[in-house]
Amino acid sequence: MLQCIFLLADNGAVILEKQLTGHRVDRSICDWFWDHVISQGDSFKSMPVIASPTHYIFQIVRAGITFLACTQVEMPPLMGIEFLCRVADILSDYLGELNEDLIKDNFVIVYELLDEMIDNGFPLTTEPNILREMIAPPNIVSKMLSVVTGNSSNVSDILPGATASCVPWRPTDVKYANNEVYVDLVEEMDAIINRDGVLVKCEIYGEVQVNCLLSGLPDLTLSFANPSILHDVRFHPCVRFRPWESHQILSFVPPDGQFKLMSYRVKKLKSTPIYVKPQLTSDAGTCRISVMVGIRNDPGKTIDSIILQFQLPPCILSADLTSNHGTVNVLSNKICTWSIGRIPKDKAPSLSGTMVLETGLETLRVFPTFQVEFRIMGVALSGLQIDKLDLQNVPNRLYKGFRAVTRAGEYEVRS
Amino acid sequence: MAPPAQAHRSPSPSQPSGKGEVSDLKSQLRQLAGSRAPGIDDSKRELFKKVISYMTIGIDVSAVFGEMVMCSATSDIVLKKMCYLYVGNYAKVNPDLALLTINFLQRDCKDEDPMIRGLALRSLCSLRVANLVEYLVGPLGLGLKDNNSYVRTVAVIGVLKLYHISAPTCIDADFPPTLKHLMLNDPDPQVVANCLSALQEIWSLEASTSEEASREREALISKPVIYYLLNRIKEFSEWAQCLVLELVAKYVPLDSNEIFDIMNLLEDRLQHANGAVVLSTIKVFLHLTLSMTDVHQQVYERIKAPLLTLVSSGSPEQSYAVLSHLHILVMRAPFIFASDYKHFYCQYNEPSYVKKLKLEMLTAVANESNTYEIVTELCEYAANVDIPIARESIRAVGKIALQQYDVNAIVDRLLQFLEMEKDYVTAEALVLVKDLLRKYPQWSHDCIAVVGSISSQNVQEPKAKAALIWMLGEYSQDMQDAPYILESLTENWEEEPSAEVRLHLLTAVMKCFFKRPPETQKVLGAALAAGLADFHQDVHDRALFYHRLLQYNVSVAERVVNPPKQAVSVFADTQSSEIKDRIFDEFNSLSVVYQKPSYMFTDKDYRGPFEFSDELGNLSIAAESADNVVPAQGVEANDKDLLLSTSEKEEIRGATFNVSGYSAPLYDSSAASVQSELAIISSTSAGSAPSSSLAIDDLLGLGLSAAPAPEPASVPPSLKLNSKAILDPGTFQQKWRQLPISLSQVYLPFLTLILF
Repeated sequence: MLQCIFLLADNGAVILEKQLTGHRVDRSICDWFWDHVISQGDSFKSMPVIASPTHYIFQIVRAGITFLACTQVEMPPLMGIEFLCRVADILSDYLGELNEDLIKDNFVIVYELLDEMIDNGFPLTTEPNILREMIAPPNIVSKMLSVVTGNSSNVSDILPGATASCVPWRPTDVKYANNEVYVDLVEEMDAIINRDGVLVKCEIYGEVQVNCLLSGLPDLTLSFANPSILHDVRFHPCVRFRPWESHQILSFVPPDGQFKLMSYRVKKLKSTPIYVKPQLTSDAGTCRISVMVGIRNDPGKTIDSIILQFQLPPCILSADLTSNHGTVNVLSNKICTWSIGRIPKDKAPSLSGTMVLETGLETLRVFPTFQVEFRIMGVALSGLQIDKLDLQNVPNRLYKGFRAVTRAGEYEVRS
Repeated sequence: MAPPAQAHRSPSPSQPSGKGEVSDLKSQLRQLAGSRAPGIDDSKRELFKKVISYMTIGIDVSAVFGEMVMCSATSDIVLKKMCYLYVGNYAKVNPDLALLTINFLQRDCKDEDPMIRGLALRSLCSLRVANLVEYLVGPLGLGLKDNNSYVRTVAVIGVLKLYHISAPTCIDADFPPTLKHLMLNDPDPQVVANCLSALQEIWSLEASTSEEASREREALISKPVIYYLLNRIKEFSEWAQCLVLELVAKYVPLDSNEIFDIMNLLEDRLQHANGAVVLSTIKVFLHLTLSMTDVHQQVYERIKAPLLTLVSSGSPEQSYAVLSHLHILVMRAPFIFASDYKHFYCQYNEPSYVKKLKLEMLTAVANESNTYEIVTELCEYAANVDIPIARESIRAVGKIALQQYDVNAIVDRLLQFLEMEKDYVTAEALVLVKDLLRKYPQWSHDCIAVVGSISSQNVQEPKAKAALIWMLGEYSQDMQDAPYILESLTENWEEEPSAEVRLHLLTAVMKCFFKRPPETQKVLGAALAAGLADFHQDVHDRALFYHRLLQYNVSVAERVVNPPKQAVSVFADTQSSEIKDRIFDEFNSLSVVYQKPSYMFTDKDYRGPFEFSDELGNLSIAAESADNVVPAQGVEANDKDLLLSTSEKEEIRGATFNVSGYSAPLYDSSAASVQSELAIISSTSAGSAPSSSLAIDDLLGLGLSAAPAPEPASVPPSLKLNSKAILDPGTFQQKWRQLPISLSQVYLPFLTLILF
């Protein structure tokens, strides 16, 4: 079980330390860890599970903050990592975002949260709804209240009802003046396109996110028009397994507020919305590059936030790149970013230029990989469609909303 | 668990000592302590906050302990919490002062607010001062009987904390039996889960000294307890589910019906959002079916999709942990994953440790149908910016070539690498071509043509240079200028830093001599002379050996140096299958991530310099040795040790014996008695076969299921199977079989593991 949790700033200083068991973990472990990270060059590059001479260390990095957990006993590694991820999620949820100052300003709350989330090294409550009832998040309203009334306790006086509730993820008495429920399909497209323009791999990872603002104890049923395209699914604990197994229907009593109802994968997609055609020819120490971007399959909605990013090979001394649309930036670490935005109607965006190779090198042997980002609002590219959302035990007047968005995930084009 | 070591904090010299601030705080706190003015809590809170922030950045504020305790008489819960935090941190180094806090903590334990009762109890148990344990027993006993589940949850963990401070006190107060009672009867799942984790720890620590404790530990994995926990699994929090599943993985079902019932009940856990739950479930499935070869394969098919989804969702850290587990499965049964090879393609942005795992998996899953795509993909990585990965992928191509029969296309690819004019690519490719030639001598003609065009000046890496020289010697009859290249290499003997290269050079010159004597004679003399004068012992000895061999009889020498060679059919694997099995045994543990069985990094004898220590001085020394590769011969010796010493392993293994239908000679008496107990229990409950229709799947009905909880001590509850699900194993198995299986090879049963 975990013995200690540390939060480290981006310079390696300890922001917060929480000892969990009788065996005290000395802070020097953080120095060891930081030396290790520096020897690896980059904290993103060091492994999530490290064996130090005295402890096994789990680490995750979020927004420049390193979450570190130590143990000396064997335990499931995912339990450590998942827990740290949960801590990071809940902290950023409570504090609005994650940064060193915010944590330092609110470290009492952070301690309180950790106290409820883990006891003696074993994770207890990580359900945000329940934590929220035990420890009120610091927000403007409570700050105002505390100034006005002088009572600034951010701990609720009563124990969360949900601890006694038969649906552990939902508080018992939720009341809203306006009852609303929003269902979002959020998809990420992962694709690899090889140098011949052939789609090597194309897959969508999607999530059904629900924002549920409903009074009482509602019972929801969500069905899809084409559930058969889903390859594998994972559910929030609230989803009943049987209706899905027999009829592919999601039946659940939702938690209050925003949550991830389900995640899924759709395999073997045949096409991508945009094309990227890089061409590199090199001769006698110089290399000509030209990249064309355009719409391949019109998804019916605008594709925006198109960004192309690539790392110039180390053997390139200088690059002179221009584009007929958007802006091109080359950073000192040879990362080149081409922000296109939307594709204009009248022309196809293209980037061209020449690059000078290292002296003694005639032709380019190492080719860059182009990473593409885009966003399409209003479309789920997997083709998944929500059929209907039925609600029981809810007030008559309510608003239902559906949205969809597709983003590029790991979308790369090789040259 | 390692004994809790006393570690005194030593403020690092870089941080300010904060002496002035601390004494300031001290006087301010003292002023506030007696005051009862309105609004005093706010000013106290500011001060407390300051104290705790000093504590957090590592300044020693233990000097204000007395003042903090004096200020703690308050009804404000935030103040209380901060005070508890402070006290918990410093009580251990100030045992005398800690006594001061006992009073107010004990009072808070009787507060009417359950939150305060719980918090006070938690802090009381976290003081961890040995001479204060007498004050713990009373509040803990009350806490365990509290009518609020929050307090009970805290109290249960408190018992465990008490045990770690003073085991005899905990045992004398009869807490473990109370916990057992709570575990089997408490309506709150979190209390049950905490009881389970506390009991597991207490009983396994006690087991070495007390027979009763070891019996109790065995009883935890008995049918009644396991069934009771399984029936409530949906009520538990995700973390508690992991705990229960870990326990279930140790359970040994009596027959295949039970196995199918448990798998039926747990199948939906594979779709849980928490990756830790999914992996624990997978572990249960794999362990349950070890003895059933065909079902075991179906389990692989079933868990494939959830694992692959886990990899693509979640953060990079999570995917890495999942990938490590996927890696071990792929290595065990590559053909099952053969159609999913595209999942193992590397993405540009991934950290290199992920890429490395993926490359190994790509290598493993390559077969006749997908080799072309995989090799094409790997060749793309050879032009990668990341040089270690480029090297790794060339090696992967080579490995695939060595495990395939149809290597035609791959050889062409490798030869293209040689022409890429990147020194590291050429180097890796040379080593591979050498291995390839040893296995497929028929390709020598094509390879030699390309290798001959490589200038030896461009090859610097010892391994590659050695490979090139080996080929020069071995195929000197086909390479026009082999003797002359060797000659120029011999001339630069002095400049060659690597002994390995010099050794190869000696042998190559010898080989060349027997094939083309007139051209090589001069070089041979020079090489032998240089070798004899070499300061490296091995090189010197080999030169001397060749010299004497030639003097003795030239034809014998030829038979020694140039014997007819047979193609190598299989290259030895680096990691023994025994170790792989051991790691598999420890699925869902750190072993998988490290790719080493746990004894290699936790066993004291094994670790050697890699020891646990809390002293700062040792850290740097040990850190260096941590990277050392464990010597191979040590493994064997230690293995035997381990088998004799760790009793727990033995039991699991013994248990596996039993399932597989072998006689169980390894069973010790205590395990056997449990076994007979089980038999009696199951005979009494023969009537309540698992076909009972207790199935309550409705989420809202969970409360109901807890109410008619059977008395598990006497009658084992039957599993509440999913109503819609298939009850008899035959049909269930049928369903598993329907999963797409593409088996073309005979699957090795896991007997090795069982017999091990």
